[in-house]
Amino acid sequence: MGGRAVSTATGSSAEATRDIEPGVRSALASFLALNAEGRLAAEYPVVRRLVAGLDGEELLTAGRLLSRLDPEDVLREHPATPAVSVAITGHGTLSMLVAPLTAQLARHGVLLRPTVGNYDGYVFELSEPGAGATEADLALCVLDPMVVFDEIPVPWRPQDVEQKLAEKVALIEGLTARFTAAARGPLVLNTMPLPRRFTAQLIDHRSRARLGAAWREANARLLRLGTEHSGVVVIDLDPLLAEGVAAYEPRVGVYARAHLSPDLLAAYAREVSHLARNRVGRTKKVLALDLDETLWGGILGDDGVDGIEVAGTFRGEAFKAVQKAAKQFGSQGVLLAAVSKNEAATVSRALREHPEMTLREEDFVRVTANWEPKHENLARLARALNVGVDSFVFADDSAFECGLVRRELPEVAVIHLDGDPAEHVGRLLADGWFDVPELTAEDRTRTEKYRGELVRSDFQHSFDSIEDYLRELDVSVRLSAVEADDVARVSQLTLRTNQFNLTTERLAPAEVQALADDPRSLVLAVRSSDRFGDNGLVGALLAHREADGLHIDNFVLSCRVFSRGIEQACLATVLEHARDTGAGAVFGTYRRSAKNGIVADLFPRFGFHRIGADDAADQPDVAAYRHDLATKLESPSHIRLTVELERQSA
Amino acid sequence: MKDVNDLIGMLRDQLGLPVTAEDAARHLDQVPGWDSVHVLWLVTVLERDAGRRVSLADLLEATSIQEIYELAAA
Repeated sequence: MGGRAVSTATGSSAEATRDIEPGVRSALASFLALNAEGRLAAEYPVVRRLVAGLDGEELLTAGRLLSRLDPEDVLREHPATPAVSVAITGHGTLSMLVAPLTAQLARHGVLLRPTVGNYDGYVFELSEPGAGATEADLALCVLDPMVVFDEIPVPWRPQDVEQKLAEKVALIEGLTARFTAAARGPLVLNTMPLPRRFTAQLIDHRSRARLGAAWREANARLLRLGTEHSGVVVIDLDPLLAEGVAAYEPRVGVYARAHLSPDLLAAYAREVSHLARNRVGRTKKVLALDLDETLWGGILGDDGVDGIEVAGTFRGEAFKAVQKAAKQFGSQGVLLAAVSKNEAATVSRALREHPEMTLREEDFVRVTANWEPKHENLARLARALNVGVDSFVFADDSAFECGLVRRELPEVAVIHLDGDPAEHVGRLLADGWFDVPELTAEDRTRTEKYRGELVRSDFQHSFDSIEDYLRELDVSVRLSAVEADDVARVSQLTLRTNQFNLTTERLAPAEVQALADDPRSLVLAVRSSDRFGDNGLVGALLAHREADGLHIDNFVLSCRVFSRGIEQACLATVLEHARDTGAGAVFGTYRRSAKNGIVADLFPRFGFHRIGADDAADQPDVAAYRHDLATKLESPSHIRLTVELERQSA
Repeated sequence: MKDVNDLIGMLRDQLGLPVTAEDAARHLDQVPGWDSVHVLWLVTVLERDAGRRVSLADLLEATSIQEIYELAAA
């Protein structure tokens, strides 16, 4: 279970894709039929698609059945399936979390390997290194109000609760510090709901107010743990409760000591599933939006630029809220794209000239308005941006367009915005498709950078040879030891990058920090810029020293800066550093995944020789290489290279 | 539910338990894959099927699938 969160992928493209037509049979009926035939593991890719269409009780039923399945059985049939080990610990009975969590992860095609701790075992399980929780990809410490109230004597006063809250929060703060120092994966905490069955036992409002204030202060301290530790995520349950989910179900609370209601656990599982998704490098990157009746009311082609509703009117205000939410996403690194069946010139005029439009052309990485099928436009956009279509979320009001995209590009997450536009924002946000543990400086300027990339690609077309182009591009590369400020971005690169990623080893910030602090390790940040601007921190190279030489553990590079010789400059630097520091050789490993074929020949291309090919039969997806340092690898002449291998702050 | 076999079917289809008619009279400790969490899920499934409340406290006291059936059908 201690395996890293590596999406080992052997892209078995022959995966079963038995087509199950929606409409002929409901998704649940098809799922139950596969279960009855004992084919859930064998048909997992189909199962994933079926589960993606379920919600509520149906999703829970699927989760109960899937949680009976051994993840290893699925991996035997479909080795490319990502799996996440999750340690579940806390105060109350938590066995009811496994089914919804299994189902929520299955919606994303991620397998759950759960370990449920003992009742009220969190103190021991989080403080004991090697107890399992520290080895998991994600550790959930589920906190509930009974953490406090189980230890309050009767009769009680608000000050008794104040005292106990202070004690418990201090305990959790201590546990968090100890746990994050030892753990591989993040610790997930949550705020504690304040149940009316306790507040109402105080008959005077002054005492109730005092209890409420103390409770909120304790929750605020918990939330602050999530701002102070990079290895901690705190899920705020208040917004989930505000949506109308009951915090407590009296029967399972009293009889089974499950202190959070099954509905709340299901909503919590939905939030956690997006963290798990992020942990295996599957966070979505692009939000592709339809225009007519999605971003504005009315049909642009019929109603004209002045006739569409984007503000002021009842429906206009609803669409304005959608535009504001999309703009907010864009400001945090989500790439917005418009994909609309419309005349390009009219759309351009609407986005530029409509006085009340919230979103403007520059907010989109690309605006596609034509009469091509939308799935073809999405696929083309993915190629232009150099990202997978599986990093797309697509939202449209039309059932036809949604159905077609679902059918042609099943890896795209589709949000059908049918019904009242007042509900659009809620639907867009129902799933945290773009959730990440923290933002980096790169995220704030991503749209601009990708837009720049599209400009670069036009610039490239004006040159006869790639060499001329690269010389004119004026590329600068800075290779430096990772500093504290770089850790979050380096972790993010290992999590987000799927193509130029030699081993697909995903690292949480704490893991990057630990490597950076290890004197045997070399953790390098790669920055680049060119005549069009600064690309920022675009890559990382991780290596460590052993007696026989320097071992490259991984090398990742953002897809924005491929094919510019940056990888050659990096490898040339590392080889020279190895030679200068007396290393006998440099070793490298390539681990094939579904998406990193682009770097399959990286090492041989730069003078590394394959080793151990004879005993590679048992690991056909892994290739090991060695460079004997006899020949020197030059950095490309068109790159201006700066190297700082010593950390500025030790 | 007409008889205990309907409950067996429910346990198989809704909870994924590999139970057969032979397991009905067995002590729950001897039923393959049985865990108390199943009772917590089962109460919702049974109530939806019966259209009325079933006592969770009583279900948790039951020692066999047969007893669970009798409580739900009562």
